[in-house]
Amino acid sequence: MKVTIKNWHAIAQWRWDIGTNETDEEGDVCGICRVPYEGCCPSCKMPGDDCPLIWGECSHVFHMHCLLKWIGTAASKQQCPMDRRPWVTAERKINNNPR
Amino acid sequence: MSRYMTEPEPEHIATLIHVLVRWHRAWAPIQEMGPTVMGTFTITYQTHVFSILPPEFSKGFKELIAYTFQVTSPDTCPDWLTKLFPCQGKSPRPDLGLWMTFDELGLTERYESLILSVCYERIETHITETCSKVWDQQMLQPMRSWMSDVIIPWLITPYAREARTADEAAILMRSVGSRLDYHVCKTFADLRTNELFDIIIDFPDSKPALEDLKDCLQRVDQRSHLVQSLRKSNRRRLLHPGADTKLILTQYVSIIRCLRIVDPQGVLLFKVADPIRRYLRDRPDTIRCIVASLVGDGESGDSLVDENEPIQPLQQAQFDDYTDHKWEPEPIDAGPEFRTNKPSDIISTLISIYDSQELFVKELQVLLAQRLLAIKDGNFDRERRNIEILKIRFGEAALQVCEVMLKDMTDSKRTDQHIQAQKRSDMHPTVISRHFWPPLQTNTFVMPGQFRQIQEDYAREFSLFKPDKKLVWMSHLGSINLELELDDRTVGAEVPPLEAAFIELTSRVDEWTVAELIAKIGSIERPAALKALTTWVELGVLKEDTPDRYRLLKVAEAANSNSKASGKQPTAAVDELPPVQTVQQQQAEQMRVFWKFIEGMLKNLGQLPLDRIQQMLKFAPDYNRNIDQLAAFMEAARREGLVAVNNGMWKLQK
Repeated sequence: MKVTIKNWHAIAQWRWDIGTNETDEEGDVCGICRVPYEGCCPSCKMPGDDCPLIWGECSHVFHMHCLLKWIGTAASKQQCPMDRRPWVTAERKINNNPR
Repeated sequence: MSRYMTEPEPEHIATLIHVLVRWHRAWAPIQEMGPTVMGTFTITYQTHVFSILPPEFSKGFKELIAYTFQVTSPDTCPDWLTKLFPCQGKSPRPDLGLWMTFDELGLTERYESLILSVCYERIETHITETCSKVWDQQMLQPMRSWMSDVIIPWLITPYAREARTADEAAILMRSVGSRLDYHVCKTFADLRTNELFDIIIDFPDSKPALEDLKDCLQRVDQRSHLVQSLRKSNRRRLLHPGADTKLILTQYVSIIRCLRIVDPQGVLLFKVADPIRRYLRDRPDTIRCIVASLVGDGESGDSLVDENEPIQPLQQAQFDDYTDHKWEPEPIDAGPEFRTNKPSDIISTLISIYDSQELFVKELQVLLAQRLLAIKDGNFDRERRNIEILKIRFGEAALQVCEVMLKDMTDSKRTDQHIQAQKRSDMHPTVISRHFWPPLQTNTFVMPGQFRQIQEDYAREFSLFKPDKKLVWMSHLGSINLELELDDRTVGAEVPPLEAAFIELTSRVDEWTVAELIAKIGSIERPAALKALTTWVELGVLKEDTPDRYRLLKVAEAANSNSKASGKQPTAAVDELPPVQTVQQQQAEQMRVFWKFIEGMLKNLGQLPLDRIQQMLKFAPDYNRNIDQLAAFMEAARREGLVAVNNGMWKLQK
């Protein structure tokens, strides 16, 4: 017997590819606003491309808006809020990510 | 009199009265003896006559009066009446002589209430006969003119005989006339009040009847009676388990509209609506019904919302505006809890059944999710339109989540177009944002064979297009349109993914047991698996040879030819089960989390009273139950044997 697919209406969720390969149910939260990465930062209304993430060299990930706001304050001293190392935005290695 | 008793005819009473008046005249002292003697005689005579009249006389007398209604012209007048009571001169009414005689005997005075009651009865019968169930036209005015055409002329003879001019007659008639008018209104109001429930069902065709009722209620004070009666019929006919929630809501909306006509200030409505609202609050599916009608269910044509009604924001309970110059005191029969609600629209009223809008938004979200996920052709304009309308009502912020859901739909479509351009695929997924959709049922399984291949291909393309994102498949959702090429036939079907997964497996190995299939696919429950298999058995593709063992039918079996699915046309077998968790399920889910907390604290602290548990739970995130809900939950736990209670102290059951 041969099964031919004519049309498949599927449902999927998108996730940020944050390097880790775990498909954890709860998901991780942004260290600044405590909202899940797949949610949106407090100043945004639309998740996803409108409220992207930012990856640091130090391996920490935040909502971009959250981090930029933090960096913008004097108290930040341009450091990562998690480990106090100078914040350097990581180059994303797009095809390097093993899935 | 005895003649009357054997043979109740008004004629005999008339004869009796005739005899009485003859005696009266015969025994009367001569005029010259002066008015004093005349007066004394009349009194004595009347005393004697009234004292020996048997009780049946009043009944007979009443009948005689009622009879005179028929004698409006000399033609209809029976001979005995004119013979017994000849009237002098030309009279418009043949019964004039009779009434003169009544006066002479003092009967009019003594039996006045009787005469009026005859009128009342006539009014009642007439109204009941002509107005019952006639709701599509105003009947009060015709009734009143009927009264002035029929009853009033008749009354002129007994009451305003002496009047020479019409004005004089009017003055004499005034008091009795207003009494009768009152009675007309009262009878009418009673009738309509008793019919009110049906009138409301017939709304808006029955609008004239309501206008009538309004006029009547201004004349007579039957408002509390109306409230009582309507509440009673509501309780009897509406608020019982046999009635559909949608039906109750429809009727409630009609009641609102109707009572607004009858009583624009809304006191009646407030009193009547209270039990209905309380009842609706207890029904589990009320919110769903309201929400379904908000977004306009395609199938059920009559939505609760009047299309013509302007859409306006929900109104919150208003506080008194002390600077309002048009302020009027509340009507006197308003209860202490009565709030003058400005005429608000129906939806606001319905939503105010519940204390918070939150529940509605949640339910709306669930409903929207179900609809959006079921859409296959990517056309969700209707949903978008609904949400735009609802935004006006609930406010932009409350529906933000729904906005994200809609955007996911648009984005999915665009992404899909892009990906199809790169690499054609038979798959058209809807990519949703987690956290913004209601929790979806999770029993993810692994799609076998070519399905998995397609998923992976698509996910790779997606990641190329959106480098930072990846896809997590919710394999159990959606639907697949398949074509099976078997040895002798092709079968087309539109099935849920689980069914597709099973058939894919059978395409490699012909025979499977249920356990083997489940093991191959992963985390699914047995009933779901059986259901999926049944779909194929019904389509004549699989056969359950021995229990739990399914075999692919490469060649159709004759026995299956009569089964409904032997044809080629695709059969929709997509299950009706909502893929989205309902609000109740979500709550149950939450409570399971809180149970962990409760279990922990009881383990650590031994036994605790209920309010202490409640206090401690308040520290838990998202805990928003009140103590009654907690009590109900603990009670349920006790029934399951998890906890025990003693003197209000709860402890874990060992």
